[in-house]
Amino acid sequence: MATVNPVLDNTYDDAAKRTPLVLGGLDYAGVTDDVCKIWEEEKPQKIWFLVLGVAFSLLLVLGACVGHLLMKGTGVWGNNNPAYWGWPIVNFVFWVGIGHAGTLISAILFLFRQNWRTSINRAAEAMTIFAVICAGLFPGIHIGRVWAFYWLFPVPTEHLAMWPNFRSPLLWDVFAVSTYATVSVLFWYMGMVPDIATFRDRCKTRIGKLVYGLLSLGWTGSARAWHRYEIAYTILAALATPLVLSVHTIVSFDFAVSQVPGWHTTIFPPYFVAGAIFSGFAMVVTLLVPVRKMYGLENLITLRHLENMCKIIMATGMMVGTAYGIEFFIAWYSGVQYESYAFYNRAFGNYWWAYWIMVSCNVLIPQVFWIKWCRTTPWFMVIICIFVNIGMWFERFVITVTSLCRDFVPSSWAYFHPTWIDLLMLIGSFGLFTTLFALFCRYLPVIAMAEVKGVIPRDHDH
Amino acid sequence: MAEENTTDPTQGNSKLVGLLAQFDDPDSLVHACDQARQAGYTKTDAYSPFPVHGIDPALGIKRTVLPFIVLGIALGAVFIGLGMQWYTNGGSIGGVSTDESPLFPGYRFKISGKPYFSLPANIPVTFEVIVLSSAFASFFGMWFLNKLPMLANPLHRISRFKRATNDKFFLMIKNADAKFDRGSTEAQLNEWGAVAVEECRQDLTDIRLPGWLRLVALIGAILLMLPPVAIFRAMGMTNRAPRLHFMPDMDWQDKSKTQTVSPRLVNDEFLFADERAMRAPVDGSVARGQLDADPEMYRGIKRDYTPAVSVTTATGSVRTSLGPNQNQQDVPAAAPPAEDVSMFITTFPDEIEVTEELLARGQQRFNIYCTACHGFSGNGNGLVNQRALALAATGKATWTTAKSLHDPMVKDPEKNPIGRIFDTITNGRATMGPYGDQIPTADRWAIVAYVKALQETGIEPPVVVAEEGGAVAEGTTTEPSKTGDGTKPRP
Amino acid sequence: MHETRPAKITSPITTLNGGHIRTIPVALIVGAAGIGAALLLSGFSSKRFLFAYLTSFCFVLSISLGCLFFVTIMHLTRAGWSVTIRRIAEYWAMCSFPLFILFLPVLATVLVGSDTIYSWNVGGWSIHPHDAETTAAKAAAAASTSISDRPPLEQLKYAFLNKWFFTARIVAYFLMWGGMAWFFLKNSLKQDESGDKSLTARMQAFSAPFMILFAVTIVFSSFDLEMSLSALWFSTMFPVYFFAGAFLSGLCVIMLTGFWLQRTGRVTDEITIEHYHDLGKLMQGFIIFWGYIAFSQFMLIWYANIPEETFWYNLRINQPGWMTLSLILLVGHLFIPFFLLMGRGLRRNRQLLTLSAVFILVMHWVDHYWVIMPQMSPETNKYTLGGSGFLIDAACLVGVIALFIALFCLIARNRSLVPLKDPRLGEALNHEVH
Repeated sequence: MATVNPVLDNTYDDAAKRTPLVLGGLDYAGVTDDVCKIWEEEKPQKIWFLVLGVAFSLLLVLGACVGHLLMKGTGVWGNNNPAYWGWPIVNFVFWVGIGHAGTLISAILFLFRQNWRTSINRAAEAMTIFAVICAGLFPGIHIGRVWAFYWLFPVPTEHLAMWPNFRSPLLWDVFAVSTYATVSVLFWYMGMVPDIATFRDRCKTRIGKLVYGLLSLGWTGSARAWHRYEIAYTILAALATPLVLSVHTIVSFDFAVSQVPGWHTTIFPPYFVAGAIFSGFAMVVTLLVPVRKMYGLENLITLRHLENMCKIIMATGMMVGTAYGIEFFIAWYSGVQYESYAFYNRAFGNYWWAYWIMVSCNVLIPQVFWIKWCRTTPWFMVIICIFVNIGMWFERFVITVTSLCRDFVPSSWAYFHPTWIDLLMLIGSFGLFTTLFALFCRYLPVIAMAEVKGVIPRDHDH
Repeated sequence: MAEENTTDPTQGNSKLVGLLAQFDDPDSLVHACDQARQAGYTKTDAYSPFPVHGIDPALGIKRTVLPFIVLGIALGAVFIGLGMQWYTNGGSIGGVSTDESPLFPGYRFKISGKPYFSLPANIPVTFEVIVLSSAFASFFGMWFLNKLPMLANPLHRISRFKRATNDKFFLMIKNADAKFDRGSTEAQLNEWGAVAVEECRQDLTDIRLPGWLRLVALIGAILLMLPPVAIFRAMGMTNRAPRLHFMPDMDWQDKSKTQTVSPRLVNDEFLFADERAMRAPVDGSVARGQLDADPEMYRGIKRDYTPAVSVTTATGSVRTSLGPNQNQQDVPAAAPPAEDVSMFITTFPDEIEVTEELLARGQQRFNIYCTACHGFSGNGNGLVNQRALALAATGKATWTTAKSLHDPMVKDPEKNPIGRIFDTITNGRATMGPYGDQIPTADRWAIVAYVKALQETGIEPPVVVAEEGGAVAEGTTTEPSKTGDGTKPRP
Repeated sequence: MHETRPAKITSPITTLNGGHIRTIPVALIVGAAGIGAALLLSGFSSKRFLFAYLTSFCFVLSISLGCLFFVTIMHLTRAGWSVTIRRIAEYWAMCSFPLFILFLPVLATVLVGSDTIYSWNVGGWSIHPHDAETTAAKAAAAASTSISDRPPLEQLKYAFLNKWFFTARIVAYFLMWGGMAWFFLKNSLKQDESGDKSLTARMQAFSAPFMILFAVTIVFSSFDLEMSLSALWFSTMFPVYFFAGAFLSGLCVIMLTGFWLQRTGRVTDEITIEHYHDLGKLMQGFIIFWGYIAFSQFMLIWYANIPEETFWYNLRINQPGWMTLSLILLVGHLFIPFFLLMGRGLRRNRQLLTLSAVFILVMHWVDHYWVIMPQMSPETNKYTLGGSGFLIDAACLVGVIALFIALFCLIARNRSLVPLKDPRLGEALNHEVH
């Protein structure tokens, strides 16, 4: 039924035939067994408990910080004149960016019929949702009085007697991020329904049968249902693709509609989107390489998948690098002294260290992926991808802080200092993210079984 | 034929739904579907762990209307998205704007010079509304068309069917089909390559709602009623207790505000015995930058001066200043002859160097602080003075006219040495209030320098016209006790 | 169940089959006539003619570059579905190199030191003459030969915007485009004979650095050719805007060429409706992308409202006629094609696809017109739309397109219009859109 290929390395290039996306001679039942064994094992591995334990303690740290913030007010952060947007917004943009790869892998690669997406899209979508939760946290608590959060939405209230300002990019953000979170959850859940049905049919415990039974909606895999399902999935993908673009575009509008030098530049929308994809893919690689090793999923998440992701990381990294270059060139070409100064200051001013961390991590380090060994050696690419995400965090830091600390009024120029709450919240958000991801690995289908089965080569195909 | 099969007598409480045939690979399933369609079956369905390519034409499945549903919703969302923004931000048609709406009026505010309804700025939110509505439409549209969630399905009772979500493929020919015949259909299915054929039966007891579920639903419904009942009850009652404060909202802070009562200790005693929350500075403490040790610089009094008489506040001296310089300068101002003019310095203190810059500064400060009464030229005819005189003329107020700085007595360096002018600005004189708190020391010296310069210009003191003079006389006579040296109308 | 087609070329005719022998002379004559008519209609006003000419030139150049991008990205992504339409794109991409000849008239104005087209070529361009003093200052800066006599902004930009550096860059772009297109075409044709599959691997390996080269050249060429027409204006988004339109029009031309070849009985079997369907989907995607880029660029400039940037849009919005054209562009380049290509049924209808492709191409030309033309006389704002002016533009467009087609026929000549022995041929022949 399937090609028997004892070699796990499927990164060779043979133009005459397609590389198999499922290795180890797995057939349909084999795919199901491989994925379900993670969830069926009696006791999870020790490493899972270790990861969850560490992540959960970080989550508690985050909870304590948020509690402290709510009791004391936003003054516990380092945000102050002139950098009223400090780490919280940096963390927000960072997490939202990471939250882009999931839907992008799912939606755009689906529309482009890139079959290799099937093994990685589920985990990537889950990652998207968890990253968006982390992202939503920061502006959520940034509003100070979180219990009045519903003022952000056009809720008709008699006592407030006013409405949000729809000309404000911050309000666009509210709509964009909440729409994105909702649509991502729909997309993720819809993709999971057939796989949850598999869980339902294999489940042995009563509570499991009830929960997975309800979640699977009574899915039978009927051809008519599949027909509507596939069309609905395609429509969702077609909607999600411009949505992914719009979300980070709108995040970039937060900066670019202003007149602050270094923020107001028209290339921000595509540049932010490319950066988001860049960091998102890096995060997918960072997560999937250990998961693949832990659960023995080398047959499904093959080296080819990882290699492709490395190539995308390199490509988007260069797009981001090109945008840095265009910005610099136009800052000079425009002849506007404020623009020129803003960019000169970024590279050679008092935040030069942040700028050069950004450039080396985002533009220079990913260039190692030109070498085949680098993009086919899992442990090595994880290191590179961690660097990429460090770089992308610094990119948002550079954009936010350098411009604010050197705006039009020299008398208000200052140096931004984060507080320990800022630092703990950033670390704590990783705890939240990892906790959710660890729970996902244990209780939900990590790989889209139904989709992988669809790309297993059939006999007449070769 | 179909009617015969709707109830199967041998199976008592169950109904035959159809025949389920199992296949081991997608190609044989598609092949069997094709055969079934060609054999004339229409009420058929196939079940597979993943969408099998080519099964739609084999089963004769028509394209779903879902895309059109989504398109319709999306077009509607354009109007909803734009309309929402237009309404809430106070858009208007023909001069009638939504902010005049009696219920939930629109809210107008000017932001960065943009119109209330500015299309480019409203595109992003409109786009998000379209995407959100369309996503819901396609997601729940799929549920609706597929009749999901459908948790009770006879197929789930068949243990073989559990592999439909794993690795096996099934074709069901339904009992409801006109061509269905229990025996021949089974034969056909076997002929088309089925690995196994099995009956699918609907257990009629499955359809009924279990009794315990009704009880749970009833209890749930009653419990759900409780919150609204509690809310309505609370709304219909008066309650004098302070409302619950779920969030502190910075309403309570660990500090005492000015002019409030001292915080109390646990045993209900006051923390401060005088029951005031505000504290005076500790005796002998000097605030930063307020030492002011040099009397020449800070008070205009000679360093070597020792008061010959102990001074007390004379009657008629109006002092409102509570500044730190007060006690040193408690000089009776109402009686110039009794005042020891010799204590004042006659030249500028060492720190002050009279330059053009200082004079310019003095002029500027003078124009800010002094001209309201004394006028720009210093002849005592400022706007406040004019207005007060006009009011005094109608008897509505009393007023002591402002002093002309060109008055010979004021000009006289014997009677008014430099230190004394400084003292006048600092502590006031007669009806003139003290300016020590408003004007920094150096600026007061600058004003002194400017006043001296102004006096050198030789501007004649104004001649009070008759009516005004009368008014002044009237005004001054009403309060004779307060007429100091500056109150006599000029002849 | 479905039949798998063998990986073999079955069309009876896979070349132009002598069609070029007739087409080339006709195209050359039409080209000469069109350009001649435009010259005549413009009353030999070099400025009016050259602006119309530059618009049409940028239009065909962007098509060629769009096709070059298509070829590069298809190799980069190891695409199999597009093999049978790739050769058409390769020929169009190869046209980019000889297009340099068509750019010579424009380049000549730069080299002789004239500011007919590029105002930065003569000093004083940054001065807006609105009274006697500014007019005199402008004249003085123009008359002076020394760079140091110019306003500081001009001195700064002179480092980039001067005739020698400009010429050097233009030559470099065309060399790089030509080199890349030639590399792909040469190896692809070589494979037709040998069937060597390592050539595919070779082209894939080179496609990655070529993509970088393409990005750099498209960024700076868009700055040079179109953005520097208004030497004061700057927008970091402009190259992306240029690229979005270029790739979109490239897709349209590939599709139309396919239709034309198949209508005339060539390559009838190899290009199927499935390929057109996928091209249609890409077109719709890039219509949205173009709209997204155009909107973002406009919105950011409109919102921030900085005079250094807004004047460019002001010329295109607050002028009689130009607002209409802007709206036509918005509706015609975004909404109409969006709905024309929406839905599977519409994307599989050849007539409708032809209509959409032609319509998008017209709109793409309008897009270049909208970018270039208002810079003809931005100071006096005398240039208004409409009337006989359109005849000049139309004649020029017809002429340049005819020359472009002649180039295509010249390059394609007797060569095969589909790759004959591409290792992924089977995949393309069996391509199916679900």
